[in-house]
Amino acid sequence: MAQVTYNLRVIWACMKKDIKVSLTDRVFAILGVFLSVNFLILFSLFVLSGGQAPTAVVMNDTGPYAQQFYQAMAGAHSFVLRKASASEAHTLIQTGRIVAVVTIPADFDTRIQNNEPVKVGVDINNLNTDFTNDIRRAVPLSITSFYAKAFPDVVTVVPKESDQYRQDTDYIPYLTVSILVIALVVGGLLQSGTSAAREWENATMKELLLSPASRWAVVTGKMLGALVMSLASVLIVLAVLIFVIGVRPMHWGEVIGFTLLTLTIFIALGTLLGTLLKQRQAFMGLAFGTAIPLFFLSGAFGPISFNTPAIQVIAQIFPVYYAIVVQQHAFHGFNLNTYGLWLNVFILCGYAFGLMSLAALVLRRSTVAN
Amino acid sequence: MKSSFFRSVWAILKKDLRVWLSNRRNIAATIVPPLAFLLIQALGAVAVGRSPVALVTLDQGVKGQQMQQIFHSADVSRVTDATPQQAKQLYDNIQVIAVITIPRNFTQRVTAHDVSPVNVQVNNLNLDFTNDVRRSVPDAITQFYQAQGSSSPIKVTVQEQDVRLRDVQLFQYSVLPTIILLLTLSGLVTSSIATAREWETRTVKELLLSPTAHSAIIVGKVLAGFVTTFLLGMLVFLLGAALNWTRPEGVYWLTSIVVLAITALFSTGLGVALGAALHKSQPVIAISVNIAIYLFFLAGGIGVIAFEPAWLQNIAAYVPLTYGIHALEQAVFYSSSDLFGRDILILGLCALATLALGVLSMRRSIVS
Repeated sequence: MAQVTYNLRVIWACMKKDIKVSLTDRVFAILGVFLSVNFLILFSLFVLSGGQAPTAVVMNDTGPYAQQFYQAMAGAHSFVLRKASASEAHTLIQTGRIVAVVTIPADFDTRIQNNEPVKVGVDINNLNTDFTNDIRRAVPLSITSFYAKAFPDVVTVVPKESDQYRQDTDYIPYLTVSILVIALVVGGLLQSGTSAAREWENATMKELLLSPASRWAVVTGKMLGALVMSLASVLIVLAVLIFVIGVRPMHWGEVIGFTLLTLTIFIALGTLLGTLLKQRQAFMGLAFGTAIPLFFLSGAFGPISFNTPAIQVIAQIFPVYYAIVVQQHAFHGFNLNTYGLWLNVFILCGYAFGLMSLAALVLRRSTVAN
Repeated sequence: MKSSFFRSVWAILKKDLRVWLSNRRNIAATIVPPLAFLLIQALGAVAVGRSPVALVTLDQGVKGQQMQQIFHSADVSRVTDATPQQAKQLYDNIQVIAVITIPRNFTQRVTAHDVSPVNVQVNNLNLDFTNDVRRSVPDAITQFYQAQGSSSPIKVTVQEQDVRLRDVQLFQYSVLPTIILLLTLSGLVTSSIATAREWETRTVKELLLSPTAHSAIIVGKVLAGFVTTFLLGMLVFLLGAALNWTRPEGVYWLTSIVVLAITALFSTGLGVALGAALHKSQPVIAISVNIAIYLFFLAGGIGVIAFEPAWLQNIAAYVPLTYGIHALEQAVFYSSSDLFGRDILILGLCALATLALGVLSMRRSIVS
């Protein structure tokens, strides 16, 4: 009993000490809190356009069919359209302001009426295949939609779509949940890793290692300190996501639970890396350098099963993948793999326990001479 | 006087490089992440922009088979032929985003000019994937009609003309901004911490009490950071070139290297100025990382800045990395020197400004 009380006191003392040290460095504390928010906001800003291609339409014909074709393009969910003269459109595409110029020829209506072939000019600023392929696919989509409306008896082959979910989820609400996970990764790593590495840099680890305190208790205390410091960041990130970006969670309880679980994992990982590297500079390089590849690797943009087998195998090695899966369920109710929600949670708990044990083990085997 | 300046710069450069080289963990932590990023991009390249779909062809007639062939040759999705049961399994296991079914009586209905639906069951979990499917099916239908030649009821066809000579894949396109991010993060974080640590370990006292010019100290420290940052950038850039992702041609090798060098100089200069101004590693880390992230995103690091809203473009105009990314993309992908002079001038001036800022910070810290 006395041992338990002693360990609890050690945990409490280590936690208090780490929080106090973090708070003495106000600039770091404030910027550390806002780092994750910045990440979320900045990333969201650049997907605002939702991948829709800015396109100029040169209407050399303003007849009813030409107008219907323009409407079909507007309904293709692929373009940000603007009407322009040929010279304006030329300038816009040459200066790289738009992805494409669609030119409806002067005899469009006449040719359509006479059932004669008509060519719609499409000049593409083929900057990258993401935009280019969207245009290459969206113009035929517009043609088919145009015919389906204007001549329903002529074009009889039509797509008949049935959706799995009652409503579509836009790109931003989907992606921002994945970004939340990366913000948790960065926030957790930053607080715990720098705190652990600082103990070695300042040689204050010597006192901790020479004390009779259990290494488990020290690690737990340090992790709890980092958790408290990270919570401020998490609250702000969640507030921005829910109230500013407007992504309402479907399961509030899951959001809170999975956020804490994810944070615990990356705080444990940060403590482990900080203890192993013993230097903030090396730790920061590794932490930030790793966050970006992990983001691309772990199914941030869609289910990992849509990717190549090699990526699927590698992604499942890292907890970020499972964290994204459970958070997408918490916010949108999506099942992104076939493991079921609770197996994903169980795997994450395994990571949390494993990393905490590893951090304690590494600390136990550490000596100041290292 | 001049020789003493250069000797001082050389000594500081050598000292900082030795400190950096003596720390293997640091080197590994700097080099491993970009290599991991390239590996991930390489492994996932095949899947980018091509969603997996299952195609069930229930019609064995001419039109049904023709439609099936068009879905395969359209190259807009990764198509797997499947029976209805296999397709359901693939869909339930989230192996495919959609199941496209060509119905049993497709040929019959097309021939009879009856409405002939191609059934598309979509896992509409996000619009990016969903819209890919919504575009690809009509695209295939259009091609189906086009294949009928002059008898096709669809008379509208597309006459495409590309502004640039070659298409650049999305994964290739994302490599260059990533290199710029690496240069910025590495230059800022490494140099700012290395400089701040001089104050933390009080070794700056020796430097400041020596008869060395402050500008020599700053230049020496910037050059040391520059060498490591630039080498890191070059390593990733050359790997990209080896994989044929980011390979410039002819003289554009030189312009690309110049852009990388000036970007590295800018970020290193900013890092040294920051370290000299703040003197403490902890706040320097947080500020450096935030600055690097802001600079990267606001320069359009994950998108095409010209296609973003006007207010974002206006902000990007004041971010030096915008010009670095632009110059590098023009050189590597389009073999163009369009606005190269403007890009280099702005980047170069910003790099010089950071050096001046560093000297100023150093002078202020002596006064304090």
